[in-house]
Amino acid sequence: MKKQSLLAALLLAAPLAASAAPETYVFDPYHTYPNFAVDHLGISTMWGRFDKSSGKFTLDTAAKSGSVELVVETASISTGDNDKGARARARDEHLRAADFFNVAEFPQMTYKSTAVKFNGDAPAEVEGQLTLLGVSKPLTLKIDRWVCKAHPFNKKPVCGGNASGSFKRTDFGMKYGVPAVGDEIKLFIEFEAYKQ
Amino acid sequence: MQELLAHPAVQGAVAPLVVGLAVAALLLPVRLSGLAAVAGFLVAVALIGNFSFSTLTATRKLVLVAAAAPLLGVIADFAFKPTRIAGPVLGTLFGAAGLWIFWSVLAHQPLAQALRLAAGVVALVLWTVAAALPLQRDPVRAGAAGVGLGLGAGIGAVLGASALIGQYGMALGAASGGYVLLVMLLGRRVSAGASLALGVSVTAALLACAAVLLAKLPWYAAAVLGLVPLAARLPLPDRAHPGIQAVVAVFYAMVPAAGCWAIAWAASRTGG
Repeated sequence: MKKQSLLAALLLAAPLAASAAPETYVFDPYHTYPNFAVDHLGISTMWGRFDKSSGKFTLDTAAKSGSVELVVETASISTGDNDKGARARARDEHLRAADFFNVAEFPQMTYKSTAVKFNGDAPAEVEGQLTLLGVSKPLTLKIDRWVCKAHPFNKKPVCGGNASGSFKRTDFGMKYGVPAVGDEIKLFIEFEAYKQ
Repeated sequence: MQELLAHPAVQGAVAPLVVGLAVAALLLPVRLSGLAAVAGFLVAVALIGNFSFSTLTATRKLVLVAAAAPLLGVIADFAFKPTRIAGPVLGTLFGAAGLWIFWSVLAHQPLAQALRLAAGVVALVLWTVAAALPLQRDPVRAGAAGVGLGLGAGIGAVLGASALIGQYGMALGAASGGYVLLVMLLGRRVSAGASLALGVSVTAALLACAAVLLAKLPWYAAAVLGLVPLAARLPLPDRAHPGIQAVVAVFYAMVPAAGCWAIAWAASRTGG
C-alpha cells in the first residue's frame, strides 16, 4: 500500500518536475540580428548590423533564472556600404580592418550572461559580459519585448523579442575615429529561438 | 587646439613632420638625429590615442617593436659598427618579432595559409632590413628610404582599407621627411646611423605586413616596397648640393612606393 502511494506521488510530481527544468532555446540565425547605432560627425546616426550570429539561452521560469550565450561573427558587419564603387574601399571593409573590428585578429564578439532578472514570468534584464577585441566588460541588456508561443506555421515552441543596451567602444580599445565617429554604441538585438 | 590635434592630417603628417625635424635638430650634437623617424611615428600613435598596451593586439605589439628597433640601432651605432652580416641577422631577428606580432592573426588561418603568410612576414622584414641597413652611412639615402618606405606602406594601407595603419605609415614617412629637410639644410653632417635605417625599415615592413594581414593590401603590393632601399642606392649627382641630392633620392625612393599604390588601387578595382 505504501509502495503504491509513493509511486502515485512520483507519477503526479513528474510533469511538475519537467516544467520546472531549465528549457534550452537555440537562436534562429535567420531571425536573430544584433543591430547597432553610432553617431557620425555629430550630424546623423548611422545604423549597422551583424548578419551572422549564433547561440542559445536557457530559461527556468519556475526558478526565475536563465542564461544567454551569443556569438557574433564580426566579419559579417553590414552598414549598407559594401560596394566600393569608384572608391578604393567601402565603409564595411574599413570597419572590418584593424581600425575598428579587427576581424582578422578577433573574428568573434561574444556575450555571456551572468544573471537574468525577471518581471513576472518573463525575463526583463540580462546582466553579462561583452567580449570585444579581446576585452571583456559588463553589459546589461534590457528585454524590450518578449513573446513565447507556438510558431504560427511550424507549431514548434519559440521565444523571441528585442533587447537593447549600450556601451562605449573605447572601453574595448576601439579608439579609432573618436570623437568624429561616436564613442557610444547603442545595441538593438532582434531574436527568435526555438526550444530544443 | 584639441580639434586641430584630432585632425587625421595633423596626426599622420603635420605633427610627425614637425617633430621629426625638431628631434633631428635637437639630437644633432649627440649624433642621434636618426631617432627623428621613430619620434614622429610615436607622436602619431599618441595623437591617435593608441598608446595603450593593456590588450596586446597586433598593432600594439607593432608599436612596441617599432619603438625598440631604433633603440637597438643606437646600441649598434655606439657599441659596435654593424658589419655586412648585421643586416641579415637583425632582419631575421625582427622577422621573428613579426611572427610574435601577427601570431594572433596567423592562429586563425588554416595551417598551409598561416605558413605562407608567416614566411611572407619574415621574408619582407628580413629583406627590407638587410637592404636598408647599409644606407645608415648615407643620411641622404637613408632619409629618402624612410620617406619612401613610410609613405609607401601608409598610402598602400589606406588603399587596403585601413586608415589607422595608413596614418602610422604616413607618420613614419613624414617624420623621415622632417629628417631629410634638416639634411637638405645642413648637409651630410646630420648623422643617420642604424637608429634611422633600422627604425624605418623594421617599422615600414611591419606596417606593410599589418596592412596585408589586418586589412586588404595585396601581398604583392607590399612586396614591391622591398625595392625602396634598392632605389635609394641609385646614383646621385655627386657634386650637387645635398638639398638637390635629397630631392633626387626621395624621387627614386618614391617610384617603388608609387608602384605599391598602383598595384593596391588596381587590386581594389578587381575585387581584391
